[in-house]
Amino acid sequence: MNWGGPIIHTGGGWSAIQFLTALFPPDFSPDFLAIAFKATWQTVTYAVAGITLAVAIGLPLGIIASGTILKESSPWRTPLIASTRLLLGALRAVHELVWAVLLVAAIGLSPMAAIIALALPYAGILGRIYAELLQDVPQQPLQALRAAGASPLRVLLYGYLQMALPDMLGYSFYRLECGIRAAAIMSFVGIPGLGFQIQISMHDLLFSQVWTLLMFLVALIVLVDLWSTRVRRSLLA
Amino acid sequence: MIRSPNAIRAYRQQRQPLTFARASFYAFFLIAATSWGFILLSGDSGLTDLFTTKTWGNAGRFLSAMLGLNSELTPAYLQASRWMDTGKLAYHTLAMSVLAIGIAGIGAFLTLLLAARNVSNGDLGGAPSRAGTVAYHVTRASYIFSRGVPELVWAMIIVFFLSPGILPGALALGFHNYGIVGRLTAEVVENLDPAPARALRAAGAGNTKMLLYGILPQALPQFITYLLYRWEVVIRTTVVVGFVSSGGLGREFILRLSWFHYTDVSVIIVWYLALVIGVDLLSAWLRRLARFE
Repeated sequence: MNWGGPIIHTGGGWSAIQFLTALFPPDFSPDFLAIAFKATWQTVTYAVAGITLAVAIGLPLGIIASGTILKESSPWRTPLIASTRLLLGALRAVHELVWAVLLVAAIGLSPMAAIIALALPYAGILGRIYAELLQDVPQQPLQALRAAGASPLRVLLYGYLQMALPDMLGYSFYRLECGIRAAAIMSFVGIPGLGFQIQISMHDLLFSQVWTLLMFLVALIVLVDLWSTRVRRSLLA
Repeated sequence: MIRSPNAIRAYRQQRQPLTFARASFYAFFLIAATSWGFILLSGDSGLTDLFTTKTWGNAGRFLSAMLGLNSELTPAYLQASRWMDTGKLAYHTLAMSVLAIGIAGIGAFLTLLLAARNVSNGDLGGAPSRAGTVAYHVTRASYIFSRGVPELVWAMIIVFFLSPGILPGALALGFHNYGIVGRLTAEVVENLDPAPARALRAAGAGNTKMLLYGILPQALPQFITYLLYRWEVVIRTTVVVGFVSSGGLGREFILRLSWFHYTDVSVIIVWYLALVIGVDLLSAWLRRLARFE
């Protein structure tokens, strides 16, 4: 590592000026707007597909990790909960792009590899939060269900899930915003979308296009953020 | 007994009103179905490849290569020097994450008062001014922009200007987290008890004194907690930012992978996980301290 070199590299100052002046104006030509809209849609599809897969993986793992379907007396209870928690921790310890690079090396570059890479850490986060939310459910209604002779599955369906669902949905919607950003940077392994277009425009030194794409990305994030905030407010009301 | 379709519909609507949340859930379901449709139908999604023996054979070969099986070379994890060299890079990565959190924290701290609505509209005492309102909107816009752009995209832009190393990566992470921490702390300031700040104002305190004695004592524990939470996220992301800003473990990870030095990749992943777990534990301990329990 060379610590003694200049902070700004040769030509860096010139590039910075070029980059900043390219903001006036950004590239809003119809041809490029079409590309930007298509890239935005691609990013949304990957984010949404990744999040749905993450919920599909995270929900069962979270239910097991919460220990709600396991009898107190069962000898499997402690090892099963501990190993599921360990699995969830391992999933979320690794960043989605590191998963992506590893998966591409293991199974090859395809949209599914990117979606799985996105889903794995998000399943780890969602599973942990789901488990915590399920454990925080008030106990009296559950005891009433059990006293009425409901099986553990029924108690889960009509007790735990019924009560924790608003919070679980709210948190999943909150994660959608992060998922959009994660999908955008999947470009690094070659997945199309906003990040991919930014990379191309950057390499072509077409900085006014970069600004347009950045605006699309920020607008998309703000839109999803507003949506998820309203959903959470509506769920809490 | 309810029989007519209209009555049934009325009964259902009475039981399950179409709230915004419910409508959003249906909308999300629709978007999800369309997204999966697009991905699975548009050309080669790779879904069918997931269930072929060839793919699993490749995955198996990749894993055994990472473990150093079937190779006459000494695997990297049996060489102490490799562990030391990678450890040095792990230290650089750690430095990068601390630098990034420092940048984000200082940035958020300096804009704390500008971004809080109750400061700019005079709710904490002091006259509301047009300049204050403008500053509020500008600061909030800067939060939104820096938060909306992912770390990796920031890094892609910054390496165009700065020499590769720790600094561009730290700046990229710092810019992104500045927006997140800034927004969270501004919300803390907006929700805190206004009485001490108002009392200070009434006694003639200026902005700086009100910040130091009226707002900070209340907001600081929460501010530090948020910074520590973000540090846990940042340490996971430093590797990714290192891919493009060529600093620390990230660069080594990408290089070793492209040279097919798979056992070195394993060593890097172990160091990476050690960093993540270490920072998680350290942050949990510091957060307990910050709450003064």
